[in-house]
Amino acid sequence: MLTYITRRLLQLPIILFGVTLLIFAMLMLLTPYERLGLYVPDRPERGDIEGIIDHYGLNDPIPVQYARWLLGDDYLGTKEVPEQEMRSRGVLRGDLGFSFRGHQPVASALMQYLPATLELTLWSAFPVLGIGIQLGVWSAVNHDKLQDHVLRVFSIIGWSFPTYVFGLLVLMIFYAKWDIFPAGRISEVFKRIIEDPLLYTQYTGMYSVDSLLNGRLDVFIDAIRHLVLPVITLSYLWWAQILRVTRSSMLEALRQDYVTTARAKGLPERVVINKHVKRNALIPVATIGGLVIIGLMSGVVITETVFNIRGLGYFFADSALNLDVISVLGFTLFYAVLVVVGNLAADILYAFLDPRVRYT
Amino acid sequence: MSDPPLMKVNNLTTRFFTEDGTVYAVNGVSYDLYQGQTLGIVGESGCGKSVHALSIMRLIPSPPGEIVDGEVHFAGRNLLALSESEMRQVRGGDIAMIFQDPMTSLNPVFTIGDQIAEALLQHTDLSKKAAMDRVAELLDLVGIPDAKQRLGAYPHEFSGGMRQRAMIAMGLSCDPQVLIADEPTTALDVTIQAQIIDLVRGLREKIGMSIIWITHDLGVVAGLAERVNVMYAGFIVEKADVNDLYGDPRHPYTLGLLKSLPRVDKGRVAGTRLTPIGGIPPDLVGLPQGCPFEPRCPYAISRCRFENPALKEIDPNHEIACWVDVREAVPQEVTA
Repeated sequence: MLTYITRRLLQLPIILFGVTLLIFAMLMLLTPYERLGLYVPDRPERGDIEGIIDHYGLNDPIPVQYARWLLGDDYLGTKEVPEQEMRSRGVLRGDLGFSFRGHQPVASALMQYLPATLELTLWSAFPVLGIGIQLGVWSAVNHDKLQDHVLRVFSIIGWSFPTYVFGLLVLMIFYAKWDIFPAGRISEVFKRIIEDPLLYTQYTGMYSVDSLLNGRLDVFIDAIRHLVLPVITLSYLWWAQILRVTRSSMLEALRQDYVTTARAKGLPERVVINKHVKRNALIPVATIGGLVIIGLMSGVVITETVFNIRGLGYFFADSALNLDVISVLGFTLFYAVLVVVGNLAADILYAFLDPRVRYT
Repeated sequence: MSDPPLMKVNNLTTRFFTEDGTVYAVNGVSYDLYQGQTLGIVGESGCGKSVHALSIMRLIPSPPGEIVDGEVHFAGRNLLALSESEMRQVRGGDIAMIFQDPMTSLNPVFTIGDQIAEALLQHTDLSKKAAMDRVAELLDLVGIPDAKQRLGAYPHEFSGGMRQRAMIAMGLSCDPQVLIADEPTTALDVTIQAQIIDLVRGLREKIGMSIIWITHDLGVVAGLAERVNVMYAGFIVEKADVNDLYGDPRHPYTLGLLKSLPRVDKGRVAGTRLTPIGGIPPDLVGLPQGCPFEPRCPYAISRCRFENPALKEIDPNHEIACWVDVREAVPQEVTA
């Protein structure tokens, strides 16, 4: 088990190295002139262009540029560079460049927009994983009965409904028509409270969490009311996904010989299902479970745009529409790392669930 | 055999109601099983042997399967009429069952010790620790070396033979009166098969339980069983003591099976070949009008096509379901 995890962890830097190569390659697809344009938005004097390109080393051999981009101008301190000459501190030190849309370094923009996205994702993920899996089990155990059919219809709709249509639809019904749930992240009244440092401390940036930490139930309720529609929109697809996978995986496990063995031992059906069947059926679900978190985090691009939530997805969409390539690449790198780490977590969970994996 | 039988199967009938039609898997199977007896049930694949065993245990997947008729009398009760919770006491307690493929019959994600202890914890009041001690004893009994160290092993760490030994240990864990073994050696190498059969033979003497041994291998049955039922298309076609069956087979199907079996004791005559039974077993969807073996039978007469013969006693303790006396009839070439 330990060797398995160690080996898996040792693979991590190699995969991440590949990820940085790919993202850097995307940046290198632009000509030095185009890249210059990213850093210097105002059109410089014609005579200056070559000089600036030279000064920033945009024409240097690609490996040299990659090393500078990854390690910083001082190559992680191995080269003496005066402070005012340091243009990049390197991706490894968290320097992802400057975002002109965010008016700040990309890394700090990501940190600024992360809490809203994290809040949305967590509120979506826990019900999906907790209740969705149970519903999938229930559906399989009641195979071909009414409950199963209802859940399958629910699942197929979620599976085939585009998020942007679904999001607009719930917004139209619950916000525009009935006005039950609002859009945005928080009401104007509470926004003033939140932004007042004397009344309120922002611990995490997640409104639903901070409000409880501040003991403000009214803020909490308002934050939750704002979360209902985006959470439904964001997670519906993944409800459908996890239901489908759990159900088919349960049906598969139910057919296995060891289930007959378990019944032949005289075990009650409850134990047969919950111990012998479910434990096996959850192995493939664990893999999907890792993807659910990643999928939700990526799904925010559409959901946040539809519901006007200032999170990572909003930032990404805004940067992309305004050709802020540096921000887009920074966001991409951030998500790539997230995917790699998420998959690693799923693999380790997998090994916990399946003893056969541990020794291979 | 003057004692009353330990288990009496009477007219057991199981069907599967599928989209392709009704499958007549087991058709009115009746036999007695006595204390300490080993009963062999022999037949080709798909002749209803396993379904009949699962029917006794009431483990037929339903839907589509259903036991439509019959009784299984055991210890004064009809198993088919018991409630589900009463039946659970019988399963693994009074009657244990082991299966064909030890590779898939053990749950891959739980340890061997845990899976065997489960039966003990279900049927006895043993503590978890006492159960584990008992499991170690059982594994020792079935010939697994270092039994105590192996309790925490997972099925994939065991070889096929060891897994089947573990399955047998699981079956024996609660001292059952009947052990139903559904082709337990089919998936194993021949050498391992012999070991497992030796093991069962030894255990039978030590414990004194009755065994129903289901197989398609007549050789295995000859060495193990005292009495044999031959099944074809869900019917029992011949019932006899083991010596009568091999010395004086009277049903054309049994005769065919024995002819297709290589024998060491008769010696091989140069130029002779084994004689397989022509054709294939019938599709069990829909019940045939006549004898189900008629299309493949070299002794068939016209009556066989329209009337399915019932079992009748031809000698003491020897029953067949056939219209013809194979000792007198002349076999014909089967064209089917």
